[in-house]
Amino acid sequence: METMKNPSHFLVVHPLDDVPEVKVDTEALGPMAMTRSVRLSLMSLRAYLVLMILLVVYHVVMLAR
Amino acid sequence: MTDKTIAMTAAGVETDVIPARGRVVKSKWMRDLLTFLMVFGPGLIVMVADNDAGAVSTYSQAGAQYGTHLLWIVLLLLPVTYFIQEMVVRLGIATGKGHAAMIYQRFGKWWGLFSLVDLELVNFLTLVTEFAAIHLALSKLGVDPRYGVPLAAAGLIFIVLSGSYRRWERSVVFLCLLDFAWFAIAGRVGPPFGQVVKHSLLPSMPAGGITPDLMFLVIAIVGTTIAPWQLFFQQSCIADKRLRFADLKWARLDTLLGAFITIAAAACMMIVGTASHAHGFRFTDPAQMAIDLGRFGGPFVRDGLLLLMINAAVLGTTAISLSSAWAYGEVRGWPHSLQFPVREAPGFYVLYLISVAAAAGIVMIPRAPLQLIILGVQVLAGVMLPSAIIFLQLLLNDKELLGEFANKPWNNWVNWTIIIVLFVLSVILAVQVTAPNLFPSAAGGPTT
Repeated sequence: METMKNPSHFLVVHPLDDVPEVKVDTEALGPMAMTRSVRLSLMSLRAYLVLMILLVVYHVVMLAR
Repeated sequence: MTDKTIAMTAAGVETDVIPARGRVVKSKWMRDLLTFLMVFGPGLIVMVADNDAGAVSTYSQAGAQYGTHLLWIVLLLLPVTYFIQEMVVRLGIATGKGHAAMIYQRFGKWWGLFSLVDLELVNFLTLVTEFAAIHLALSKLGVDPRYGVPLAAAGLIFIVLSGSYRRWERSVVFLCLLDFAWFAIAGRVGPPFGQVVKHSLLPSMPAGGITPDLMFLVIAIVGTTIAPWQLFFQQSCIADKRLRFADLKWARLDTLLGAFITIAAAACMMIVGTASHAHGFRFTDPAQMAIDLGRFGGPFVRDGLLLLMINAAVLGTTAISLSSAWAYGEVRGWPHSLQFPVREAPGFYVLYLISVAAAAGIVMIPRAPLQLIILGVQVLAGVMLPSAIIFLQLLLNDKELLGEFANKPWNNWVNWTIIIVLFVLSVILAVQVTAPNLFPSAAGGPTT
């Protein structure tokens, strides 16, 4: 960024010394809209997690035998 | 360059209202260099810390078993690891919040809690394996682990207590740069450079072809190069450092540089493992490999490898513990910044302290169930990685949240391909770990 008084000079500010930027207000947005692709992705994830749980149960059953 | 205080807003407009410290330079070249150096850190740290104790073990085992034949796979992971972390950079800069908070806010409490509990659990178990590596390496160095492990834990706690993000970052970047010693050791003990280049650029299979053992080692390499905690860590780190929109290109460069360094260091670990194989040593663990290689490479190689193993575990520990503390603090709404002194963010620091101290304490227990812990890490990481990446991909397509920072169509093609491959590999690994009798010809499972 150029300084206003002298355009040939550049000011570099460390992010922690700079004025905090205004970011998107994520809390105001609320939950994500459940579009078809989002719903499909989350359903695939649920199926994957069920498979993982079944594998762990299988492992525990085999260990218990 | 002068070192003076100027009143200036983030947009570069002088003002008397909000002061900010800055440095004035006289050329664009110096401006870019200085800006990069100020932004530099989170990308390098997340990448180099990923080469933790488990990674040292996996890569050196791959070298010890298959020589330099798997180097091309490591090179293939360079764009994969960069693309995933680059998404995290965009998300972190655009929202100024951590990954755990984003999942909570956009996907609701159930998915938020699931991600948090899984992250905290897998992180803690991984921390135990880091301290187990420190314990092992200290023993081989002739240092009594009863004193060495608590000392390492105390050091890890000390570096976050200064109440300054910058001080923590400088200390950790210094530790990251020590990883360059891998290049010196690999150059000293490794095979000819031509062989390394050939096997890095030209895909080749080891003698014996594709076996279950080879397949599982490849999965372990992928799993160790792309870890779930990395997503949480880098986003929280970027939020804590308060990176700005204008910093995006420099944060990308930081991440790319980190990816190059970590992949090159991983290749060096594999090359060192190759040297162990070439001298006829049987691989059991990296500490024993250091002792074996020290017999012909001298104390520089032996002690150097053991110290690098400790450094890898220390880097992994600080990054993983912080990712846990940041994530928990974000979700609970606690103050959670390294910029805060302990009295202003007690919950955040106590969680970090408990993670480190408890993990160090467990490895001090004689006959602690380390094998069970390693198994737990493998299974939970298998559950965690695909789910964390799915959330990341969905968040990066959330135009309401990210606007111009959202994924482009080509990003999505690349990322969905990576996600599908990771899903398949995670399922295979989980099946191997939980139901090994389904793979009767596999002699042993992969390492963490």
